[in-house]
Amino acid sequence: MSESIILVKNKEIVVPGQPLAKGKLNLGKDVYRDKFGIIRAKKLGLVDVKEDNISIVPLSGVYIPREGDITIGIISKITGSTIIVDIRSPYQGAIPIPRGRAVERVNMRKYKLKLGDVLLAKVKAFDGSSSLLLTIDMEGLGKLEGGYLLEVDPAKVPRVIGKRQSMLSILRDKTRSELIVSNNGRIWVKTPSLKELLVLEKALRKIENESHISGLSDRTSSFLSQELSN
Amino acid sequence: MVMPLYIEKKPEVLITEEGIRTDGRKPRELRPIRMTVGVLDKADGSAFIEWGGNRILAAVFGPREVHPKHMILPDKALVRARYNMAPFSTPERKRPGPDRRSVELSKVIREALKPAIFAENYPGSVIDIFVEVLRSDAGTRVAGVNAASMALANAGISMRGLVAACAVGRVENFVICDLNHDEDMWGNADMPMAMLMESEEVTLLQIDGPMTESQFKEALELGRDSIRFLYEMQKEALKRPYQVIERSVKGDL
Repeated sequence: MSESIILVKNKEIVVPGQPLAKGKLNLGKDVYRDKFGIIRAKKLGLVDVKEDNISIVPLSGVYIPREGDITIGIISKITGSTIIVDIRSPYQGAIPIPRGRAVERVNMRKYKLKLGDVLLAKVKAFDGSSSLLLTIDMEGLGKLEGGYLLEVDPAKVPRVIGKRQSMLSILRDKTRSELIVSNNGRIWVKTPSLKELLVLEKALRKIENESHISGLSDRTSSFLSQELSN
Repeated sequence: MVMPLYIEKKPEVLITEEGIRTDGRKPRELRPIRMTVGVLDKADGSAFIEWGGNRILAAVFGPREVHPKHMILPDKALVRARYNMAPFSTPERKRPGPDRRSVELSKVIREALKPAIFAENYPGSVIDIFVEVLRSDAGTRVAGVNAASMALANAGISMRGLVAACAVGRVENFVICDLNHDEDMWGNADMPMAMLMESEEVTLLQIDGPMTESQFKEALELGRDSIRFLYEMQKEALKRPYQVIERSVKGDL
């Protein structure tokens, strides 16, 4: 039995509680089934129907960590046993400083971390409510030095990366810069000059504002070419 | 020199026999309403509502870290609401700060919105709702609920549905909706109500003044109709900024 009626158009903007469909469909992100079996939106966003899946692509929201996410955090507190990291989320990240084993302590000390440092860290474990463990003990992770930190709405991170990193490579190639996009919406950049930085910032605002309209990559690409040629 | 006092006078007729009210409206007519979202840059979500003479700003922050720490709920988000009137919002200066009335309204607004929020999706965090009345003209609590519900959706918080609210009441033998200042002061009954639109569940119902059973039923029905209309306005207001961008982008190409 696969009787299902979809009440909205694909990519339509819906508000929380708006009925989306009835019948047998798999629930994706940010949708729920009410007590009458009607599938409804949880957030303000765009409807995304793929075969038997229905989900919402939210248009705004805070960052909720998930295990395995790459985040860019700022050290907000260092105590004897933990480093507290702000990752722009309701939950603070913690990097424990190992006790006892001398080798590990020395390893931790080699990063020379201080208050205000910017870290590229991975979410190692998260219990969903309070304990959020981060790690910087992996290839490519650790302190970010130099460059600038930009921010976008965490809900727009998938747009900044694009399908198969298409948007990210456009941004990288056109501005000839190093770019790290993290899941929590912080973007670390190292540009050849200030001009590219300012253009990049404008481009990110454009992506944020126009993420719900198709043809975003092409528009961003031509926007970058135009701005950089002046 | 003696400052002239602000003296309110009861109008001679609150409603004519033909059902025309002091501001010229019919019993089932709302005052002009305009809703805007995303008006505050620093808040996660915000909304502004102009309803008759009311001007109300709502801001939502969160889910964010709970302070003070002892208020943390380990299994769900804490929802806090604050209703506040600006000192310049009333004809005579209102003493700033919380008073009996605003503490009650804060509670009422919080409880009207709480059933709509999926608090269990954000354990150990807090969602702060601020309702600031800049200019008041009867029915600020319901206007505040409308604005706060839009601000929540604008902040991207998981919700069961939007909450819309409207006041209904009675003046003499007429059941009326959206009471104005005179009707609020000298009318016979006043009944603010709010509904969670997904299930048409009533989340706020207060009543001040007597009504017969049939009048109450009529008022409830009228309130439901008005709320449905307000819900459509909310939906339109939430989508509008995105449609404006879409139009300007498509116009470019």
